[in-house]
Amino acid sequence: MNKTVEVKVYRFDPAVDESGYYQTFEVPLVQGISVMDALDYIYENLDGSLAYYDHAACNQGICRRCLVQIDGKPGLMCQTLVQGNLTVEPLPKFEVVKDLVTKKGSKTDA
Amino acid sequence: MYNVETDVLIVGGGGAGFRAAIGAREKRTTATLVSKGPLARSGASPMAGADLTVHGRGMRMAGFFGEPRDSEEKFFSDIVHHGCFLNDQRLVEIYVHDGPDRLMETLAWGCKPNFCDERAVFTSGTGIMDAHLRQAKRVGVDLLEDIAILDLFVEDGQVVGALGIDIHTGEFITFHSKAVVLATGGWHKAYTPVTGSKELTGDGVAMAYRAGAAVGNMEFVTFACNVPLWPPIWRGSIVTYVMSMLCGGTLVNGKGERFLEQYDPEVVSTASKTEWNKSFFSNVAAREVRAGKGTPHGGVYYVVGDTPWEVFHANAMRSYPNWQFKGVDFSEMGRMLRDGEGIEVGGAAEYFEGGVCVDESFATAVPGLYAAGECAISLFGANRVAAATMEMLVSGAIAGWAAAEYAQSTTFPAPSSSQVKELQQKVERPLHQTKGPLPGQLRKRLQLEAYEKLGPVRNEEELKVLLGFLTEAQRDELPKLSTTSKGRLYNKEWLESLELENMLLVIELSARSALERTESRGVHYREDHPDTDNDQWLREVVMKEKVGAPAANTRPVKQTSLDLPTGKIPYLEMVKQMMAAHSDVGGHH
Repeated sequence: MNKTVEVKVYRFDPAVDESGYYQTFEVPLVQGISVMDALDYIYENLDGSLAYYDHAACNQGICRRCLVQIDGKPGLMCQTLVQGNLTVEPLPKFEVVKDLVTKKGSKTDA
Repeated sequence: MYNVETDVLIVGGGGAGFRAAIGAREKRTTATLVSKGPLARSGASPMAGADLTVHGRGMRMAGFFGEPRDSEEKFFSDIVHHGCFLNDQRLVEIYVHDGPDRLMETLAWGCKPNFCDERAVFTSGTGIMDAHLRQAKRVGVDLLEDIAILDLFVEDGQVVGALGIDIHTGEFITFHSKAVVLATGGWHKAYTPVTGSKELTGDGVAMAYRAGAAVGNMEFVTFACNVPLWPPIWRGSIVTYVMSMLCGGTLVNGKGERFLEQYDPEVVSTASKTEWNKSFFSNVAAREVRAGKGTPHGGVYYVVGDTPWEVFHANAMRSYPNWQFKGVDFSEMGRMLRDGEGIEVGGAAEYFEGGVCVDESFATAVPGLYAAGECAISLFGANRVAAATMEMLVSGAIAGWAAAEYAQSTTFPAPSSSQVKELQQKVERPLHQTKGPLPGQLRKRLQLEAYEKLGPVRNEEELKVLLGFLTEAQRDELPKLSTTSKGRLYNKEWLESLELENMLLVIELSARSALERTESRGVHYREDHPDTDNDQWLREVVMKEKVGAPAANTRPVKQTSLDLPTGKIPYLEMVKQMMAAHSDVGGHH
């Protein structure tokens, strides 16, 4: 039996939903996967409608656009290890575009 | 839907795009830069190490140490030898000549140098990008981010704009321009693992090809060596690549054998200390894996080897204080290395030598269309050596100036409404279709196929299998792709299905070129044609659309002052000769 973890994700499509809600997905726990890897698994295998900022993500902690709330604390999805069940939410105080994508994920200092 | 009018439209938010946009403003035209990702954090540029390479005298002009015995001629010769003579020598001359100007302005715009060697100023990719972002704002470039450009509008054979979508809202944007500069980088996302970011899907190369431009040298792909393959969170990081240069260490295969010992010690030693490392180590590591001697995740092990741990550790701490690299904690990696556990490493797609064919002003053969940076055919020929960060600035500036001059001389034909409508309908297809293949899954299969069959080592049989896969995917799956969500807001599957058309196309062009080139040269190694054939193959493979399918042709390389070698010799013998021909200038390049 392969171990799995529960990934609880905030969902909100402003074009359809009146308010946000949470959805839980079961993801195989492979040692050393990041939160981004877990969301990729959900997107590719369980629900292709899930939105998280990755179309231009660097996956190396440099672009900082995958910053979300992970278990209530801000963290980069690509640099946070999955070690057990977790909750992923959009950054607070930012307008949600869809699900975990917010209007401006990070600001450059230039 | 809304419209944007501009003189010069620049597609791509990395270094080439920014420098082109600044260049257009320097010639006093309006310039709009469209970035697919975040401004100054998009593409491969911010991920670069990064160094800016110029010849030693140029270094001294800019106030750095530099090697006084160096010259434009020596740097030129070294680049052409590294490129195994497949370089367009006209473009190499421009690179060598313009480098010092691009270096000095980058510093003047606020980029901070860290240290330098004989031929390079080391800074950071983010530092280079921030400096160019500031300058672009200062000179009044219109900047747009998180917008994907999907295709070019062509009227009477002239490029007159492009269709884009705002990735957040899904809204169409029609760009109407007198000239377009493509600066969209490589097609990293068609592979895994990679060292570039995910928006790099070959968009510029694919759009130029569809607009009638020729593409060339598509078979050449540089793989960064010694990149972690496992655990997944480290995949694609250049941490071990940099470590192998600064701290030493060696490679062993999955059976625990030190396989580097079977190669010429001089070649191994030169490769360990210079930019030859990428082509050599990625190649020999892939050979071990293909011989069934790989690690569980398809690589080889990077280990400390004969270097005493104290020495290795001290070197590591100088560059990675507390095992921190670019803000990421690698202390677990430090523990593994100390305890003699190998790190599984291998090649990761990093730089694409191939691209849109351009002349000395970085103009394509299609009026109004320019290409700069990695999406243009590389001046580095068959193997990249000196910095691509300098290539992007040199080519970006010239493309921006040339596009602006062209824009000043041309009229402003608008894209026809039928063309706009037709393209929008095609783009919207995945939103209307149901029960088709899922874009994320097709992309994943493409990545695995490309890495396996169009990696550092190729052969005819596998390339043909890959082409079979691509043909089927293009015929049976691509037209039927459908999205789970039918909404337009940040619809990942919708964007991916549009990117897939480009990725399948550029991998096809690359595989066809690789099949065409029946020799081994630079980063293209054919195990069924293991010699470098200077008599037959000092030619570029160029592809152009002909009645709906790519037609391959070859053309001689453009030569200026350096005579081409002759004869057919084993691949590693050619590498050794090219290494031996390096000038007396030291340093990494």
